[in-house]
Amino acid sequence: MNTKRVKIFLVDDDALFLKSLEIEFLDSGSFEIETFATGELCIAALPAAPDIIVLDYHLDGLDKYAINGISTLDKIKEFNPAIQVIMLSSQDKIEVAIECMHHQAFDYVVKSETAFHHLKKTINTIYRLTKMQKELNWYMERM
Amino acid sequence: MNMERTALQNSLYANSLIEASLDPLMTISPEGKITGMNQATVNVIGLSRELLTGTDFFEYFTDPKKAREVYQEIFKQGFVADYPLTIMDHKLTDVLFNGSVYKDDKGKVVGAVVVARDITEQRRIEKELMEAKVFAELATVIAEDAKIIAEKAQHIAEDAVKAKQQILSNMSHEIRTPMNAIIGFTKVVLKTELNAKQKEYLTAIKMSGDSLIVLINDILDLAKVDAGKMTFEQIPFKLSSSISAMLHLFEPKIEEKNLELIIIYDKNIPEVLVGDPVRLHQIILNLVSNAVKFTTRGKITIDVRKLMEDDQSITIEFTVCDTGIGIPVEKMEKIFENFQQASSNTSRLYGGTGLGLAIVKQLVETQGGTVNVESKMDEGSEFSFTMCFQKTNAKATSDIEILELDKDIKNIRILVVEDIALNQLLMKTLLDDFGFESEIASNGSIAIERLKLKTFDIILMDLQMPEMNGFEATDYIRKVMHSDIPIIALTADVTTADVAKCKMVGMNDYIAKPVDEKLLYTKIVSYIKQKLVSDTEAFFTIETKPKITKYTDLDYLNLRTKSNPKLMIEMISLYLEQTPELIKTMKDSFVGEDWSSLQAAVHKMIPSFSIMGISSDFEVMARKIQEFASNQQRTEEMKEMVFQLESICNNACIELQEELSKIKNSTK
Repeated sequence: MNTKRVKIFLVDDDALFLKSLEIEFLDSGSFEIETFATGELCIAALPAAPDIIVLDYHLDGLDKYAINGISTLDKIKEFNPAIQVIMLSSQDKIEVAIECMHHQAFDYVVKSETAFHHLKKTINTIYRLTKMQKELNWYMERM
Repeated sequence: MNMERTALQNSLYANSLIEASLDPLMTISPEGKITGMNQATVNVIGLSRELLTGTDFFEYFTDPKKAREVYQEIFKQGFVADYPLTIMDHKLTDVLFNGSVYKDDKGKVVGAVVVARDITEQRRIEKELMEAKVFAELATVIAEDAKIIAEKAQHIAEDAVKAKQQILSNMSHEIRTPMNAIIGFTKVVLKTELNAKQKEYLTAIKMSGDSLIVLINDILDLAKVDAGKMTFEQIPFKLSSSISAMLHLFEPKIEEKNLELIIIYDKNIPEVLVGDPVRLHQIILNLVSNAVKFTTRGKITIDVRKLMEDDQSITIEFTVCDTGIGIPVEKMEKIFENFQQASSNTSRLYGGTGLGLAIVKQLVETQGGTVNVESKMDEGSEFSFTMCFQKTNAKATSDIEILELDKDIKNIRILVVEDIALNQLLMKTLLDDFGFESEIASNGSIAIERLKLKTFDIILMDLQMPEMNGFEATDYIRKVMHSDIPIIALTADVTTADVAKCKMVGMNDYIAKPVDEKLLYTKIVSYIKQKLVSDTEAFFTIETKPKITKYTDLDYLNLRTKSNPKLMIEMISLYLEQTPELIKTMKDSFVGEDWSSLQAAVHKMIPSFSIMGISSDFEVMARKIQEFASNQQRTEEMKEMVFQLESICNNACIELQEELSKIKNSTK
């Protein structure tokens, strides 16, 4: 894992926010970033095997026929349940958070100035968790 | 022998005692047979002594079984106390039984004496008491119900009052707008060639229109006072000239009625006072017009005198006295209520709505004064009120004087921004009459286009217009075009909030609709004169660029991108690309009431505020719009916010465009 950089997909139809997120991720290094303006584009790129996807909840805001965040999330999980998805939303609503969790999102982050730091922390948590899981599996096999 | 006699006497004595008792009294043998009784027993049971003696005691009670128990108990225990029974007489008397055995010399029980106490009366009282108690409880319940009903009714009444105020103020506003056209055009037609009949009819229309406007203004005022929204200005003004100017208005009427007008003015009153001259006018105007209206012969006296004075303030008493029809004593209290006149005949004879005095009272009392009235039928009335004014050293703001058309004021170009066709035509007609050139723009954005192409001397700006309203247009003219052209607002709704808003966005003045021709002329001329003066002054002063508040702040972006110009350019370009589309969607969806699109568009905008350093106030505003949109309700507030957000974003785009070219230039 150390040899390979973490591949992250960023999906948001708000180009401005997407760009700012991309800048921050590239800035902090050690990430391979790909950005997508729609859920459809993201799904099409899934064979490129991302480790983590940061996905906007509202992808169908302006284009009513676009696939929404939750459906995109379902498609990703269908493709490979091991890909961890962090949902993004500008609304701080418990209903939205719960819905995301029900659809197997790893976490839910509210868009704000501190969103990037939350994302970074969440990504670290994902890595600690997968590492622990692997160690656990290793020991289980030994036993 | 002696002893026997004594025994006999004793027996007689005892007998008479027994006979005297009103309670039935019996003696019974151990077998339960009646052996003796008094007259009360005979009376109660209704049978003679002969018939009663020797019969079974318990037969005379409704419940013989219980009666038997009583007698058994007496002989068992030797006594019985307060045992309830009912005697079977013609009215079933309730009694309490008391009794004890009596013995012979040797101590052998020979019988029992029983007394039945009639408790009918007690029972009755007891029953009545119970009934009274039940009634009292019922009454309490009814009273509580009534209280709840009364409280509900009070709530309903309070709601109704609020609704009434709302309707009043809305209706008044809606009525004023068309009235503007009616009165305005009547005035215009009156100036054309007319024959006598036409002139008479048109004058009638104009007078009716004028009085309707007065009525509507009165209603609006009252609604404002009721709602606690009436505010009073505190400006320096000249009291004496203010009063005499106003009394001029009544001169024709007073002459026509052949009345005498006497003005007594206290010379000790300082020339300039601080207060609200407009409201003071309104008060005196109402009182004097009443005096003139209700007086057919004699005189009207207006007396203004100082009551008290200290370092800061002065209390003045104003008295309006007439020799008119007077007010009956029992109506004195009522005349200050809304829509009240001293008699229902009054309005038929003298006209009027009965709102005048209500307004006087409200205006005086909300300013901390008092109103008084004294009157005698057929001799006249005297209304007086006191009011406190602050003293000042300041000069009074110059009274609006009627300016004559100046020779140097020529070739004046006026831009009229007004969306209603009728009002456009009216303004054009009025301005043509003044000899001014005018051009019409039907909303704010058209006005701005016009301003870019041509120069104008003054702008008359309606406030409520589609596309771009008066506030936004002024904001744009001041902040983006940096023009200081005089702008006068035209508004049908002169609430203080609006006036404050006019000033805030940088308008110079406002004129209430229906537009008063003279006022319009004087205001236009005075602003143009001012501008001529300041233009000459401008030659001597170095032009300074007005400092404008910026909408955006690139600190955050600089921090994030570490001031990397390439990334900055990318970010700003993205904002400029994305925002106009979002604004358009926001506006279109608002107009089309497509709430989900509106919500989505505003939603998309929110993150960009913090990135571009736009004040979080607008982010809060955007979130509010989102909330409104989710309720799917179009409100005035929402409309206002959508427009404000639009203007903010537009301004932000303009600023960012500048920043973008700056960054681009610096990288070259």
